[in-house]
Amino acid sequence: MKKRVTLTFPKRAVQMPVTYRLAKEFNVAANIIRAQVAPNQIGKLVVELSGDIDQLDAAIEWMRSQHINVSHTLAEIVIDQDTCVDCGLCTGVCPTEALTLDPQTFRLTFMRSRCIVCEQCIPTCPVQAISTNL
Amino acid sequence: MRTIAEINHKISRRMAVVLTVEELKAQVAAVGVTQTAKEVDVITTGTFEPMESSGAIINLGHTDPPIKIRRCWLDGVPAYSGFGAVDLYLGATGGTEPQDGEETRDTPRGLAQSVRGGGHVISDLVAGKPVQVRAIGQVTDCYPRTSFETTITKDTINQFYLFNPRNLYQNFIVGVNGGDRPLFTYLGPLQPRLSNAVYSNPGAISPLLNDPDLQLIGIGTRIFLGGGIGYVAWEGTQHFPLQKRLPNRTPIGPAATLALIGDAKQMDARWVRGCYFKSYGPSLMLGVGVPLPVLNEEVVALCAVQDKDLVAPIVDFSIPRRVRPTFGLVSYAQLKSGRITIEGKPIRVAPLASMFLSRQVAIELKQWIEAGTFTLTEPVAPIPMERSFLPQDRKNSFEF
Repeated sequence: MKKRVTLTFPKRAVQMPVTYRLAKEFNVAANIIRAQVAPNQIGKLVVELSGDIDQLDAAIEWMRSQHINVSHTLAEIVIDQDTCVDCGLCTGVCPTEALTLDPQTFRLTFMRSRCIVCEQCIPTCPVQAISTNL
Repeated sequence: MRTIAEINHKISRRMAVVLTVEELKAQVAAVGVTQTAKEVDVITTGTFEPMESSGAIINLGHTDPPIKIRRCWLDGVPAYSGFGAVDLYLGATGGTEPQDGEETRDTPRGLAQSVRGGGHVISDLVAGKPVQVRAIGQVTDCYPRTSFETTITKDTINQFYLFNPRNLYQNFIVGVNGGDRPLFTYLGPLQPRLSNAVYSNPGAISPLLNDPDLQLIGIGTRIFLGGGIGYVAWEGTQHFPLQKRLPNRTPIGPAATLALIGDAKQMDARWVRGCYFKSYGPSLMLGVGVPLPVLNEEVVALCAVQDKDLVAPIVDFSIPRRVRPTFGLVSYAQLKSGRITIEGKPIRVAPLASMFLSRQVAIELKQWIEAGTFTLTEPVAPIPMERSFLPQDRKNSFEF
């Protein structure tokens, strides 16, 4: 099964090769969706973990024991319908085609399930109608 | 077949048959040009897209003691004041000047930019919101005051009208980036290695593509401008009617443009929207609708043009020169499918004009005409259709 989680690393855990340990010890594949990691800073990683359900739970428990905050609440893309002008500029930069224009009405449609919260749409929107809820 | 006077007579009796240009295209497909031309009096077209060569003329009204404004800012955005003492021109792409220590969204080479610009201030004024004015005057015997600060709304100033030097581009380009770094353009972000494409004209519903030789639209044509009434004032800047054209008379790239004018006090902020392109700057999105009178069958035949019959050039922005390399022409039918192919590679393509709001403009204008509140005008002079397109090259000038 798959689980999408946000990992927040304390400064001292940044040096640890987490994805390697997840793969080697728990047979869990970590697909990195977003990463913000730098030496001596609190790191943030949004990963999609896939593996056996028990091993996933064990992996998450192990990460917590390493003082890594594991959060299931994810940033979501929010579109302000009152501000959006349905121009569709965001649809060209959305890598997963979560944002598309309806071929008949040409209104913007957002399929949340496809969104990986890469946030490329946010600076692209010319009327600043897109944000994250975190 | 019918004259504008006859159409106006029908409009005043609420008898005019008005179709949006999309309804017209469907009707032509169903019953043909001749039958449609017999039945329909007016066709409404509309567009909603960024039109950066726009701005507002403002007359503040005189202060006591009076001031001859030489420098002026509206919500921090500089406005031109080098004419009448309290006359201002607020351009859509003017940006606020960052104060010392103030953080701005971008730090490109050259001027720092702000997200909020003239387009946003114009939009706020149209919406009835208050705007801060800061002015510095030149002391003369007529105008002794040196500076002035106040808050204005559209109701506390004499004139507030849009006077846009270049709107309603007849066709435009498709932007791509064949380079290896992201580019931030007036078409929005273009990702490297041909990863996305952007087009900005709404294609077959766009006003000037339905009157390709500007036989119906001229100086004095009454239009829908920003939700109020406006007029075609002149040819637009960079008006280039001699662009190459297809046999259906539509141009294969940017061609005719129009200068538009209209009372901003009567406009609706829904159709006048400040916008910002990352690392490029602020601009203004504007809804413009143009009615086309069905004077003869040819009007209907030209308005029946479809997206598959219209093309735009794919232009590579990675070469920042006046003449950029192109990847050939693509039809609007392909563009609206959301995917085009360049050198065998499929590329996602996004519009910049809002097709949804463009349609709404045409629908709203249709309702005005049906209600008898909007009548058509005869142009007082035609738009010149032979204008050369001059570049500006160095002659005895120096490069900084």
